[in-house]
Amino acid sequence: MSRRLSRSVIEPLNPKLNVSRNANLPHSPGVRVGDYIFLSGMGPVDPKTGGRNLGPIAGQIRQTLSNMAHMLESAGSGLDRVLKINIVLADIADYDEMNRVWREFFPADPPARTTCALQLSNGNGVEIECIALGGSNVADGG
Amino acid sequence: MGLQREIIAPKDPALGVPRNLDLPLSPAIRAGAFVFVSGLVAIDPAGERMHGTVATETRQILAAMTQVLEAAGSSLEKVVKANVLIYSMLEYNNMNEVYREFFPVDPPARTVCGAQLSGGSKVEIECIALA
Repeated sequence: MSRRLSRSVIEPLNPKLNVSRNANLPHSPGVRVGDYIFLSGMGPVDPKTGGRNLGPIAGQIRQTLSNMAHMLESAGSGLDRVLKINIVLADIADYDEMNRVWREFFPADPPARTTCALQLSNGNGVEIECIALGGSNVADGG
Repeated sequence: MGLQREIIAPKDPALGVPRNLDLPLSPAIRAGAFVFVSGLVAIDPAGERMHGTVATETRQILAAMTQVLEAAGSSLEKVVKANVLIYSMLEYNNMNEVYREFFPVDPPARTVCGAQLSGGSKVEIECIALA
């Protein structure tokens, strides 16, 4: 238990999704420590342009979860290894619609989750962060 | 190899919120040294959302959290970090008075935020604990 852990920064393979770097924001896309990955809050960024897809909330959530899958897969992990996920909506009235889209991505044994509505940056209708298990292969970055 | 995730289900079926309220989340997940507990809202013995004061909802939630943690082999004493969401920060002290009863000594690290919550709940509490 006295093993000393170190932290390493995780970045998406697609550079268009590297919002921290592209927008010069003072956070990392994700950080890995030991077996765990901590991702920053993610929004509906277009993987082709790097711009934001601020359309209907279902599309925003689908885009954000797709981006999260890419981010996790870039680190040898995946949505099926997410432990805890926090979803922040701009409007709690979107709760039922969010759940509908959610089931597409987490059909069985979904992660522990907390949902609330807060004021978000950049006009985002949604922001999602998570804690996940890293890849099972130590060569993935452990 | 590597760690695996394990879904935690509390013994009391009334606390099986994902099934009772048909929500796509797990009550808690254990992986390695940690247990990750979903945001819990106040639930009555029938498994329906309980609407009370901030004080009564906080008490019900922390009692439920005790059971969820026990199902994972953990306990309130092992909570590392808690996040508390309340519908109005004007109720901060009302939440704190009850919270204090459950964490009398060496309480966990904590964040409190005023937020809009689903289903008319006034309080929602999540945590990360040692398994």
